[in-house]
Order: sequence, then C-alpha cells, then structure tokens
Amino acid sequence: MNPMTTAATTAAGGGPHGVSTARLRPYLLRAKYECVQMLRQPSFAIPTLVFPTMFYLFFGVLFAREGVSTYLLATYGTFGIMGPALFGFGVGVALERESGSLRLERVTPMPPMAYLGAKVSMSLLFGALVIVELFLIGAWLGDVRLERAQWFGLAGVLVLSILPFAAIGLALGVRLKGQGAPAVINLIYLPMSILSGLWIPIMLFPDVMKTLALALPPYHVAQLALGVLDMDEGQGAPFHLGVLAAYTAVCLALAIRGFRNLED
Amino acid sequence: MQRESSSARILATVFGIILGFVGILMTLPVPEPGADGADGAGTLEAYPAFAIVGARVFDGIQVLPEATVWVDGPRIHAVGTDLELPDDLPRIDGAGHTVLPGLFDAHVHTWGESRADAVRFGVTTLLDQFTAQAALDEALEDRRAGGSTHRADLFSAGILATVAGGHGTQYGIEVPTVDDPEGVEQWVKDRKAAGSDWIKIVIEHGYDRSEPTLDDATARRLIDAAHAEGLLAVVHIATLDDALKVADFGADGLVHIWYDRVPTDDEVAQLKDSGIFVIPAMAVLEGMVDPSPSMALAELDGFAAGLSETQRSSLTNRFPVELAPGFFDVPMESLRKLVAAGIPVLAGTDAPNPATAMGLSIHRELEVLVQAGLEPVQALASATRLAAEAFRVPERGRLEAGALADLVMVEGDPTVEITHTRRLVHVWKAGQPIGRRLAKPLEEAAPLEPKILADFEGESPAEGWSATTDERMGGESTVAFAVEGGALVIRGEILAGFNFPWSGAMTFLGSPAKAVSPEAEADLPPAFDLSGLSELRFRVRGDGRSYTVMLFHGSMQGVPASQSFETDGTWQTVSLPVQGFFGADLGRVRALAFTAGRPTGTFEVEIDDVELR
Repeated sequence: MNPMTTAATTAAGGGPHGVSTARLRPYLLRAKYECVQMLRQPSFAIPTLVFPTMFYLFFGVLFAREGVSTYLLATYGTFGIMGPALFGFGVGVALERESGSLRLERVTPMPPMAYLGAKVSMSLLFGALVIVELFLIGAWLGDVRLERAQWFGLAGVLVLSILPFAAIGLALGVRLKGQGAPAVINLIYLPMSILSGLWIPIMLFPDVMKTLALALPPYHVAQLALGVLDMDEGQGAPFHLGVLAAYTAVCLALAIRGFRNLED
Repeated sequence: MQRESSSARILATVFGIILGFVGILMTLPVPEPGADGADGAGTLEAYPAFAIVGARVFDGIQVLPEATVWVDGPRIHAVGTDLELPDDLPRIDGAGHTVLPGLFDAHVHTWGESRADAVRFGVTTLLDQFTAQAALDEALEDRRAGGSTHRADLFSAGILATVAGGHGTQYGIEVPTVDDPEGVEQWVKDRKAAGSDWIKIVIEHGYDRSEPTLDDATARRLIDAAHAEGLLAVVHIATLDDALKVADFGADGLVHIWYDRVPTDDEVAQLKDSGIFVIPAMAVLEGMVDPSPSMALAELDGFAAGLSETQRSSLTNRFPVELAPGFFDVPMESLRKLVAAGIPVLAGTDAPNPATAMGLSIHRELEVLVQAGLEPVQALASATRLAAEAFRVPERGRLEAGALADLVMVEGDPTVEITHTRRLVHVWKAGQPIGRRLAKPLEEAAPLEPKILADFEGESPAEGWSATTDERMGGESTVAFAVEGGALVIRGEILAGFNFPWSGAMTFLGSPAKAVSPEAEADLPPAFDLSGLSELRFRVRGDGRSYTVMLFHGSMQGVPASQSFETDGTWQTVSLPVQGFFGADLGRVRALAFTAGRPTGTFEVEIDDVELR
C-alpha cells in the first residue's frame, strides 16, 4: 500500500476527539501555514497584492477617460486574480518540488490533498484581497456604481475564476525548473493579459487580435466578469465556461501526468 | 483541547474573512435611484440583441396590431407576429405601446449638438437643407465609420445654391455663390465632390421682394446639372408662382410651402402632374405668428428634461418680423389642397429657426399635417418611409429585416391619435438605447435682484466689459472702449461684411465676469432669471445714431433679443421694459450689450449708470 494512503487513513481514523474537526485539522493547518508563508514572502505578496491595484489606479482611474473605470474594474480584476493562482501554484510547486520539501511532505502523514487545498485556499485569500482593493479604489476614486447583485456577481465570478488559473499554474509548476519558473510564468502572464484585453478594452483591438484572444483563458474570464456588468462582447456565458472548463481539464490532466512522472 | 481550539480558531478565521469580504461588498455604492448614469443612457439597458414584444407596430407601410420587433446588434433581425424567439433573448414588454421607425425631419439646418439634440426626441435621421461644410464632413466621416449610435444620422445638401447677397448668405457660413450661369455644372460637380447628398436651390425674393436671387435660366440649369450628376434637386421657394415654375423645370421637391396665395385646382393639378414632393415646414411658418403650440411641447413631462440650452434658445427666439395672425392661413389652406390631391408631403420643420427646436418640433409638424388632412398613418409615413424614399436614404424609415434598428416606442396609438408621438418612452439608435434626458442637467438660473450693473466709478471701472462685433459672423466691424469721465465710451466703425453688422461692448450679468468667448459653451457665464424685473435703465449720450441693447440668453448662440433707442447728442436717461426683449428666454439671461448697427460708418456713444430693476 502506498504510504500516503496509510497516513491519511490513520489521521482520518481519529481518536476520541471530535471527528469532523480532527479530519479537517491537517487541511486547515496546512492552509493556514501556506497563507502565512506567502504573506511573509515579499517576492510573492507585493507583486500579487500591489501591482494589479497600482495599474488599475493609474490606468483605470487616475489617468483614464471618464466612464472606463467600471469596464476596467472587471478586466483588472481578472488580471488581479490570475497572479496568486499562477504564481502560487506555478512558482510554488516548482520551488517546493526542486527543494525537496514536496517529497518531504509526501512522506509525512498529512493527507495528500491538503497540499493542493492549501494552495487553493491561499489563492482564494489573495484573490479576495485583490478584489477588495480594486473594488474600494473603483468605488471611492473611480465613481464606479453597481447594483448590489452586480458587486456580488463580479466578486463571485472573479473568485471562482481562480480555479482554471490554478490548474494552469499546477501544470506549469510540475514541469518548470524552480529558478526559471517566475520568469517563464511572467512571460505567459503578462502577454496573455494584454492580448486578452485586460489592460486595453478588447473592442479597440483589430479583428485578427480579437480572434486570437478567443484562444486565451483570461479573455473568457474577463468576458464572464463583463457579462455581469452588461459590457461583454455578447458571445454568451456557455461558450466562455466551456472554453475555461476545457483548459482546466487539460491542465489538470497534464498536472496529474507530471506528478506521476515525479513518482517514477 | 489544544487540537480542537486550533482547528476551531482557523475555521473562525475563515468565516471571519468571508464575513469581512461580504461586509465590504455590502458597503460598496450602488447607483442612486433615478440617476441616469454617467452617459445619460436612460433607464433602459443596452442589450446586444433584444425583442420588443406585444406592441402595436407601424413598419412604415402598415400597422400590425400586435407584433414582435427582434433587434440584433445595430439592425433589425425580424419583424412579425409569429416569431420564435430564443429563450435567453431579453424581451421588452410593448403592451399598450406602439413601435415606429425612428423619425425623419426632412428640413433642418444642423450645427453644434443638433444631432444629439434631435435623437433625444425620437428623430433618428436628419435631412439637412443647408449647413456648413464641416457638419457634412463629420456626417460623411460617421458614415465611413459605420454609422452613429448616440446621435441622429445626417444627410445633407451641404452648401446651397444662391447668388451673392441672396438668401443663405446672411448666416456667417461661407457660401460659394452661383453668379455665373456658365459655372453651374462645375458648381454642382463641386457639391457632389464635397459629399452633398442632393442639391438645394434657393429662389427667394424676400418678404419685401428686395433680395437678389437666382434667375430662371440658372435655376433650370442647376436642376438639370444636378440630375446629370445623379443628384436630386430640391428648391426653397416662397411664392406659388416660383413653386409652379420650378416644378415645371423638373425640380424633385420643394422644401417650403408658399405663403402668398392659395393655388387653384388647375395649379394643384399642375403640381401633381410634375411629380414633385413638398416639405411644407409648417412648424417654422406657424411659429412666426403663433409660437404657443411649439412652446407647449417644451413643457411636457417627457420632453422638458431633454431640452438643451440650444433647443431652449431657438424655441424662445423670434423672427424680427411682425406678421398678421392670418399669415398662416394661406400655407394651411394650400397644404389642405395638396393633401386632398394626393401630392406627396414630407414632415420637416426648418429647425432650429426661431420658435422651433431640433427634434422637438417634429411632434408639432406631424399634428399640423394631420390637421391639414393627412391620416395619422400617412403623417407617420411622411416622417419615416416616404422621407427615406424621396431622399433615397437607405436602410432607414422601415421596420423590416436588415434595416437599421432606429426605433421609437410611444405609449398609446399614434396611428389613430397623432399627438401620441409625444408620449415618447424609448428611442433606439442602431439598436442602442438613447437617454431621453440631458446627460448633464442645465444649471439653475438664480433670480436677479434689482441692481446697478455698472456706474463706471472706482478702481477698475471697465472690469467685466468686453468687445462684441460681427467678426464672429464673418463681418469686419471694429470697436474700442474705455472709461472716460466716469462713463463708458464706445467708439467704433460699422463696416459692411455681414448682412446685419454690429459693434459694441458687452457685460455678463454674473460678476466678476470671466473674459470668455460667447462661442465656448463650456465657458458660459452664469444665467440669471430676469422675469421678476421690470426695466433696464441707463444714461446715454450718443452721436444721433440709433443704438441697440442686446440681451444674450440660453446658449448665447442664437439671435440675441434686442431693443433700440435713439440718441441726440445730449445726456438722457433711457428706460427699456424687460418684457420688451421680444424672443429672449428671460429665465436664462447671461449677458447684455450696447451696440451700433447699420448704417455703416463710425460711431461714438457714452453709457453710464446701467441698472436692472
């Protein structure tokens, strides 16, 4: 039997203590320390929490034409939630794999999914923080006014959109070298954001580039977010969800294969 | 215990974070109730595609008692009674309402914000019968870019055909006149090259028959030249004889109706046989004798908040003529005969001439057309399909698959009661909803307390006074002013250049006044409500000329209201009744000026102790 499953069974078997929290405990603790670790790591926290906000403040509010702040709130929101997911998974997994800490974790009695759960939780926390920052700037400085349902809808779409990017990050993380990971992911993150119309509205793009954007996940997330504001291109949510689901499935499959290769 | 509390604490933190997140989302600002949003797009949402269901539909030809209009992007996808709509297509309930093609106004003159002003009142296509080349260039640019979504489309004759000093040259727009019959063909070619959609020709001798105008041979040659270039030729006429004459020359349309006499049955038959169409522009003629029906439109709930400063100004302006109330009878009686004979009549207003307003006035014009005998459905056709057909404007004036989604939705049934067009609920231009209110409401005008505007004493006695001359209309008059001996001395010279030359000094009622140009709408000085005041009083010593006090109101772009006074070389006190500023929007006065006008020559006048009370 695989040692990991043994460890998981033992932990889940519990003792005299409350079954539910005992089961949850390793997951919660792992998530807590992942969050604390990333918050204490300036090379991760500052770019993810400060850069999207700063860009939105400059290009979406202060130096923007009147009326664009609402549109750009959705697109910079997409930009903002991509960071924690792509870097948290991509760079995190690559570094931890190379340093051996991933191997170490796998021989501890911790349930195997706690590792991934912790990374998802961390991405959600950072994503939520970015969303709050952007929303407050938009509302206070950009005069963005949305119906209550739209505020929640936009936040909801953005938070859930962390998942496809987490999958992409994971697929990259199991393959990239730790040292090179940040550079490679930046080379994907920034051009993909620009080409998806996150910095400059997609309707200003020439037709060729609009077609190209259809192949990029951030485009579809941004369109779903803009859909909440009735500002999307009108291709319909099922189309965007389909593309994102396909990306997520493919990347998860690649990630699983990557992990299997690691075990060999 | 240690284990339990640790898990519980983390869980509590997670819930705390979620609660905090939700709490922050709950505090974020929502739109203020009733606010139209920054773009003034109205309460209606912009959908990429939508359907109006359950409405009565006038498609330009016939009335469908209950039908669906399916809009996709800028165009109409389908119109019909048994359409199968996709489940997720947004629907707008049209029960109790009527959907019409966006309205045409077949006789306007555009400048400034005319096109945005028009569309707020349901007029989505303007057929312009003379404007500056710049407006036409802008329209052509729009057409190349695929059409406009936030203002009316413009099709235009561009520059009109008239002679030097003739009608059309008095507005400060540079007009290359047609003075040489040999140059006619080239002139028409030039118009076509400049983008004119048709040719507009002026035959106008003036109300007192003193104005120069095109001779018959040249007029005929212009019409032939237009046809040779594949363009329509429409003619401005003022008398029945001229109308009959140009109909005989082969003109395609008349852009006015005459006011000199009612045609005989034979003459009506002659017009009918010629195949000519007529844009009677009753709104402008009626406004010359009785502006009250047009003024009443401005008070309507659905219209008041949509009127711009420019629209208010043109509506309150008056022609500087006094006409007998019976003046309107001849055009009205003539129109009845044209309608009875089945001569094609199109709805046009001649806005923004005095007592009309862009967009607004079409709703009066339609009513007058029905009073003259058109069925309401015919009147609606005259402002939609017939106008599009007559002027060969494509894709508009009909509700049918493939046409532009220029739509208006009104409450009630204008196909039976034409005044229901005033119950305008929604306007769509190329599928986009149009806000019915001004994006930025007009600023409040405070009542002006009685006050001395200037006594020309103290440290900087001429502060707030500035020069005003006909230069901005292309004239050449000059002026200089200074304070000498405690009075304002205005010296200058009236030079021929503009038809109605002027020169003088002006001051804004809001003090301290900034020195801004009257052209810059953004920099308008504050408006004041003068309706509670009785007189403008001042002391004056002039050179024996007659002078004028001009009152600038509203946008300050229209014709200022004015009153004249005489001078005799001695100091005298002049009192002018505030109500005597005929045509001023006394609720929104911004400036006044003392000016000299014709005859040409030098002048000198001293003004002192200017007081409004």
